[in-house]
Amino acid sequence: MARNAHPRAMAPAKPGSTRTAPPRLPDRFPLGGRYLAYTLFDWTGILYLLLGLLVLCAVWSLGSGESVWNALLERHRSAPYIGFHAIALVGVVFVGIRFFGFFPKAQPPRIGPLKPPPGPVILAALYALWIGVTVVLTIVLAGGARG
Amino acid sequence: MGDDRRKKTFVISRFDPDRDDAPRAQSYEIAVEPDWKVLDALNYIKDEVDGTLSHRWSCRMAVCGSCGMMVDGEPRLTCKEAISDYGDTVEIAPLANFPIVRDLVIDSDGFMEKLKSVKPWIIRAKQLAAEEGPLRQSPAELEEFKQFSMCINCMLCYSACPVVANEPEFIGPAAIALGHRYSLDSRDEGAAERNEIFRGPGTVFSCSFANECSEVCPKHVDPAAAVNQAKLNAVVDWALRLILPRRGGE
Repeated sequence: MARNAHPRAMAPAKPGSTRTAPPRLPDRFPLGGRYLAYTLFDWTGILYLLLGLLVLCAVWSLGSGESVWNALLERHRSAPYIGFHAIALVGVVFVGIRFFGFFPKAQPPRIGPLKPPPGPVILAALYALWIGVTVVLTIVLAGGARG
Repeated sequence: MGDDRRKKTFVISRFDPDRDDAPRAQSYEIAVEPDWKVLDALNYIKDEVDGTLSHRWSCRMAVCGSCGMMVDGEPRLTCKEAISDYGDTVEIAPLANFPIVRDLVIDSDGFMEKLKSVKPWIIRAKQLAAEEGPLRQSPAELEEFKQFSMCINCMLCYSACPVVANEPEFIGPAAIALGHRYSLDSRDEGAAERNEIFRGPGTVFSCSFANECSEVCPKHVDPAAAVNQAKLNAVVDWALRLILPRRGGE
């Protein structure tokens, strides 16, 4: 039997005269069937939180002198950091693909006189933008690494 | 012709508010015809095996939206589900996320209240006089909202939505799709009022885009699209009011 949902889920403002059984969650929530992708999508928030903390840490190191900065760079070459970034990359790609998949249908039929382009065009534009930004960043970072 | 009937076990959730503290499962083994829908099996059990079983149904052709239930854990219209698509054991429970009145019957009063909250009717600043004739609409204008008007209020989307399960104030996919449908209607002048509602708590911004509502919708209404389009409209309307206060949020 499924777990209970919030006891007031879909309850009327005033309770009726008949006693009711509390609402149940869908059997497969949160890790079964299609809910798994949704739950994983939510859990990637933890990755973004950790990445945000790493960025703050990097900014703090940058302002704390060369030795601290070099120590940070050294830590980033360790296996746990590389492992974390590999997981983060998978998470970001997963979120990107899911977000892009939903984006076209979230467009209104029109804003004023303007109609959005067809869904496949929006999807292609999003992927092109993503690949373009990734290529540019890779070139910039590779140049920085050589310099 | 030979007997094509095959035995299947139906594990049905039962709840008697006068006797039970919580729903319990009861099994029925019956011989089913190959062309039966799940609803036919329920009606057979009700008519021939156990007259105390309670369930809702009406049209038998996926139009009235009465017979929504959890079939093997998925929200489904039982009149639309071929029994041959299921295994030897079929689990049937009332729609998830709803208070249970009895057996497979859920309390839909909360749903009706949520529907009303989005003002699902044509709002006009000034009523037209009878001699002015009806409000006309082109096929292109109709096409803009037609998909969202196909909803049959079967409540399957509420049963699949994880936000509905955890946030009782959330007005939910069908109500938002209905409000959005009227806001898109060329005859309506109430979009600003509804955008105001949609910017309030427990409405469009509670949706975390699980997309489950659209996955289970038997009429392909795509409520997730309506909810997320309504989000954008509510934000654009808010921004325009900020920049052009006299615009009135048209």
